[in-house]
Amino acid sequence: MLADVTFGQYYEANSFVHKMDARVKLILLVLYIVLIFVVKNFYGFLVVLAFLFIATLFSKVPILELLKSIKGVVFIVILTFVLNIFFYRADDAKVIFWFITDKALIFSCFMALRIITLVLGSMLLNLTTTPVALTDGIESLLKPLKYIKFPVHELALVMSIALRFIPILMSEADRIIMAQKARGADFESGNIFKRAKAMIPILIPLLISAFRRAEELGDAMDSRCYSSSAVRTKYRVMRLGWRDLLGALFACVCFAGIIILNIYGGVVS
Amino acid sequence: MQIISKDLTFAYNKKAEFNRQALNGVDLVIEEGDVFGIIGHTGSGKSTFIQHLNGLIKTQSGTLKVGSYDLSSGVKNKANVLKQLRSEVGMVFQYPEYQLFAETVYEDVAFGVRNFFPSYTSEQVDEAVQNALNQVGLDYNEIKNKSPFELSGGQKRRVAIAGVLVTKPKVLVLDEPVAGLDPQGKKQLMKLILNLKQNSVKTVVIVSHDLDEVTENCNKVAVFYNGKVVMCDTPKNIFNNVKELESYKLGLPITAKCTQELKKLGVEIDTNYKASDFVENIVRAYKNK
Repeated sequence: MLADVTFGQYYEANSFVHKMDARVKLILLVLYIVLIFVVKNFYGFLVVLAFLFIATLFSKVPILELLKSIKGVVFIVILTFVLNIFFYRADDAKVIFWFITDKALIFSCFMALRIITLVLGSMLLNLTTTPVALTDGIESLLKPLKYIKFPVHELALVMSIALRFIPILMSEADRIIMAQKARGADFESGNIFKRAKAMIPILIPLLISAFRRAEELGDAMDSRCYSSSAVRTKYRVMRLGWRDLLGALFACVCFAGIIILNIYGGVVS
Repeated sequence: MQIISKDLTFAYNKKAEFNRQALNGVDLVIEEGDVFGIIGHTGSGKSTFIQHLNGLIKTQSGTLKVGSYDLSSGVKNKANVLKQLRSEVGMVFQYPEYQLFAETVYEDVAFGVRNFFPSYTSEQVDEAVQNALNQVGLDYNEIKNKSPFELSGGQKRRVAIAGVLVTKPKVLVLDEPVAGLDPQGKKQLMKLILNLKQNSVKTVVIVSHDLDEVTENCNKVAVFYNGKVVMCDTPKNIFNNVKELESYKLGLPITAKCTQELKKLGVEIDTNYKASDFVENIVRAYKNK
């Protein structure tokens, strides 16, 4: 069954990282991603990996659970790796095997490492933060955009409604799949076009039900006089605590280390 | 087709921490020719059980035999065997109208035949569709080219049921077939379902919350509670056991309620709780007084 699972990869645990403010985690993730692309040598990457490892330890998320997330990007990693081996050109490169040069090999490994650490870092945020906290955090961080008339609240509302509906639509899809299977629908055999065509009996009822639910939700909100411009208080108030300070400090130390190593540690790419 | 289930168990999300035991050892025999009612409170495992009957859910443990098909745990059935089983055991889910997808009623009803019998000629498909639509009381010529989405709720449901009947199943399993219909629609649809037994359908299994409907139409009833069959008998014997039913979070059909009230007033009648029989017995009791 697709249903009865809370949406997203949220891993229920009571840990330091779980208790950190979603906003802080989001900012740190953005910094982390920027730094991954700034890192120029393997020493820097050692710090990145150490940071990731320590953060995972403090999140109480089993490392295997985190590593599972790589499964989804294996293809992209391999593709980047292969393309880089083929197309990386450097002046003083030595050929070590057939046409593969040492520089290309090192550079390709570097790119693969970048993608993997990128995914692992983002996944750690997903695993330790509920979708609701994430949307709240994004809304709060985007607040300054209100001054240029950007509809921050509406955007956050759209995001949280979308998240809320994913499990519902998933269980609905489950039911429709069952019903069509009972009528002999076959989703597993045939070539890719045949399989795509086999999806129609699922997608159309699912779309119709999504529209129906959207309309019902709209009516329900209307009948409660919902207005997006109304000033409202929050049930979950986000507050910064000592964990956020400590976590941010630790991250800053790591990030500073990366920058220093970038300057003094030589250049790979 | 006789359906025999022994010690059937099933859990959702078996590996995860939040696993939920849906079936806790179901022992049940449904004979060919039965109009079999399955009742029980929400979450008692009724729906999970019926999804086993045509192999939509793979048996985790226990034995399950549907006619000559063995769906017990550990038995590997090939895809084409399962497909054949599904053509013989028709399954109508709750709110089946939500599964309509095709541009025309004809195409939607034909979906099942085309899947199960790819060798059919277009005349054979025509005939099967016509037959199925007639069985649910719809006019083939009038409705075949309409979009299923422009029909009324009751008509949609009939079209969806026709989409299951089109393969001439021997067993028809219906999950809450009349939920959400108006009283007139309920009555008509229920009559229609019982009429199916004159055609290819030999056994009907109805899952329902509506005890009146079950009493009126079924010759045998099973009560599910916490993933087990706790009672399995004729409606008469089941609804005589008021105390036991209460402990399974179930009420009584209206005729049984009235019988209880009459008992309090000192009038004892012996009825099978079908409306006509109930009234006859009251009249008899009145005349004898």
